[in-house]
Amino acid sequence: MLRVRATFKKTGRAKYISHLDLNRCMLRTFRRSGLPIWYTEGFNPHPYYAFALALSLGFESECEILDFNITDDNMSMEEIRDRLNAVMPEGMGIIKVEIQVQKITAIAKAEYSFSLMTDSPEKLMEDVKKLIGSEEILIEKKTKKGIKTVDIKPDMEIISCEQTDCSVDIVMRLPAGTQTNYNPTLFVEALKNSGAQPFEAEKFVRRAILCADDTIFK
Amino acid sequence: MELKDKIEKHLLEVQKPSRYIGGEVGSVIKDKSKVDVRFAFCFPDTYDIGMSHLGMKILYSLTNERENYWCERCFAPSEDFEAIMRENDIPLYALESLDPIKDFDFIGFTLQYELSYANILNMLDLAGLPVFAADRGDELTNIVVAGGPCVCNPEPLADFFDIFILGEGEEVNLELMDLYWEMKQQGATKTEFLRKACHIEGIYVPRFYSFVYKEDGTIERLVVSDGAPEVVRKRIIKDFDSVYYPDNFVVPFTEIVHDRVSVEVLRGCIRGCRFCQAGFIYRPFREKHTDTICKETKCLCENTGYDEVSLASLSTSDHSEIDPMLTQLIEYTAAERINLSLPSLRVDNFSESLLEKIKKVRKSGLTFAAEGGTQRLRDVINKNVSEEEIMNTCTIAFKGGYSAVKLYFMMGLPTETDEDIVGIADLANRIIDLFYSIEDRPKGRGVQISISCATFVPKPFTPFQFEPQDTREMIEHKQKLLLDSVKTKKIKVSYHDPNVSQLEVILAKGDRRLCKAIYAAWKKGCKFDSWEEYFHFDKWVEAFEECGIDTSFYANRRFEYDEILPWDHLDYLVSKEFFIRENKTAHNAVTTPNCRLRCSGCGVNKKVGRDCFC
Repeated sequence: MLRVRATFKKTGRAKYISHLDLNRCMLRTFRRSGLPIWYTEGFNPHPYYAFALALSLGFESECEILDFNITDDNMSMEEIRDRLNAVMPEGMGIIKVEIQVQKITAIAKAEYSFSLMTDSPEKLMEDVKKLIGSEEILIEKKTKKGIKTVDIKPDMEIISCEQTDCSVDIVMRLPAGTQTNYNPTLFVEALKNSGAQPFEAEKFVRRAILCADDTIFK
Repeated sequence: MELKDKIEKHLLEVQKPSRYIGGEVGSVIKDKSKVDVRFAFCFPDTYDIGMSHLGMKILYSLTNERENYWCERCFAPSEDFEAIMRENDIPLYALESLDPIKDFDFIGFTLQYELSYANILNMLDLAGLPVFAADRGDELTNIVVAGGPCVCNPEPLADFFDIFILGEGEEVNLELMDLYWEMKQQGATKTEFLRKACHIEGIYVPRFYSFVYKEDGTIERLVVSDGAPEVVRKRIIKDFDSVYYPDNFVVPFTEIVHDRVSVEVLRGCIRGCRFCQAGFIYRPFREKHTDTICKETKCLCENTGYDEVSLASLSTSDHSEIDPMLTQLIEYTAAERINLSLPSLRVDNFSESLLEKIKKVRKSGLTFAAEGGTQRLRDVINKNVSEEEIMNTCTIAFKGGYSAVKLYFMMGLPTETDEDIVGIADLANRIIDLFYSIEDRPKGRGVQISISCATFVPKPFTPFQFEPQDTREMIEHKQKLLLDSVKTKKIKVSYHDPNVSQLEVILAKGDRRLCKAIYAAWKKGCKFDSWEEYFHFDKWVEAFEECGIDTSFYANRRFEYDEILPWDHLDYLVSKEFFIRENKTAHNAVTTPNCRLRCSGCGVNKKVGRDCFC
């Protein structure tokens, strides 16, 4: 049995597929492909597959991770990729298929880019810098146990922050994985709460899924 | 800004955005510069409901087989997205191209239930089109058409539509589009097109027909103009086994009501239950061969990736090859780990071997439509099911491990008395007694009987088309009586809001004078009337009052046999004489055997020109 890890993209119209719907969508994609995917052996056998991280509705990505098992040991990675791509919905596609190397628990962070659209990028840039430079960035986060206040500042890494003639474009890394997950919208929320220039956040893209040492998760 | 950008700008603000952006697997995208005729197939309800409709899947694929025609889908937006559309000038658009449907040649609605009528007006308005056909000009474009079961009495919607398509659409839709394209190239006007179109069998152009009414409100006569035919006959597919069936469905991202492959196994019904419109308007009975059904199942499962398939029909167990068909199907579905579901099974031919097969594929409860609480009433409605058969079936089911039974009944049936209502509870009680009398019943859990009680709605093209509906007071009395008659927690009772059923009967049996009331109700904000939270009966009552319409004239009045009915000029192959005969037989509590046992002379075979069973 091949334990494989597919890296797939979810772009364009496909960004409106919710995580729950993506599950169903992937099940049907597997069925259409006719690939010999491994089924669980319990009371109610179902195809086994798992997404490494959930992607927020409306986010695009070219680095999503999907794990599954193929019962035919002789099948090539290219064949798996091509057969899935032949039956994928618009905006989705398998970029590569490889044998799983690391455990899912090795995922520590993810890198996101997004744009803050505004009429006065210069002023907004100042507001952004001010927030980034502050001691703590407190935000109310909804968890299963209710609303809790967290400080995202210590775990937030700003990779770049650039001003254009109509926006401020930010790239940042935030914790992701089985332990802590911060969504970049938390930062956007904090910026709005700080009384910044009016802006609209858009074009959210997950750019990379990373391990603690900043290497790409494999 | 392009429409797509406008839509996307707000899409994340609404519930289930994937309903509004298309891009599903199986959706058909064409180069519009190479398309001659564009058809917007509109379902007057939300995506989740409309996407479950089999007719749309068939006609969508069929039309798109033609290279120069493009059929796209369009649904009613939910309230949250509608508000955004209206606020941001987003016109109603089709999901494939995301182009506004007001740019389309045809805007086609399917009329599946009366309570969707207000949504049609709302969708036309959202599209930026005048809702009244007379206000849409004479240019040959934007032909607003409708098909589906409710088209058998389209009069309450006559002022809004250019064309109603009667019967099955597989052939006539393309004939209509062919004529359109031919005349479009000649530079014809809409009127010129409609004058020719009305001579295609199955095409009804309401503007060429008008009614003269008597002082008592009934119809005096029908006036036909523009050389249109006096009677419009519905279309049927003669060779059903080889009729077009899609090899692919659009597979939605979001969950829809019937989220599975549907394979149509038969059309029409042999039963002749006197309340059932579908049982008459879809005649004659035709079935597909086992091999065709299996081939279509396999093909659709492979192309869509669905792991569930359902057999669609009015009564699947009436298929003449039901046993071999299920054997062959299960062989495939079991190997491919596909769930097979079989709705529409009848009590009377529910055999042990059939149950064994069903058990292999599903573990849910059993549902039986008994419809009437006493044998006398079941004879009146021609539900040829005896108590003995119900008990036999339940015995088989209980022995087979089932412990939950769902029973469907109707309330307010013709000739119904309090005794018949108490009979519902008595029947349920006897099923409970039966359960505990069975030695090898399922152990460890009690029996659960769910009674679901709908209010009877008399429908056109049934033997009960002449019948009045019970008034609200009568229904409420019967509902209370039923609740009082149930004395155990093993029986659960649920029933419908009688106001909903009253609106249904008015719209179902109404005439052209209702158009203005539907318009008024929509103007007052009525839409999604089939959704409890949106149903505002008070607004409908106001609308009827303002338009001077006495609703009891339609709902609670007996229509005379010799009266001209609003749908008498439409020919659904079954004769009015047959309906009158059946109505009389019903009042004598005498049953009519099913079509396989004996032809009861409904007239279909004569008009089609061949026997129903050969």
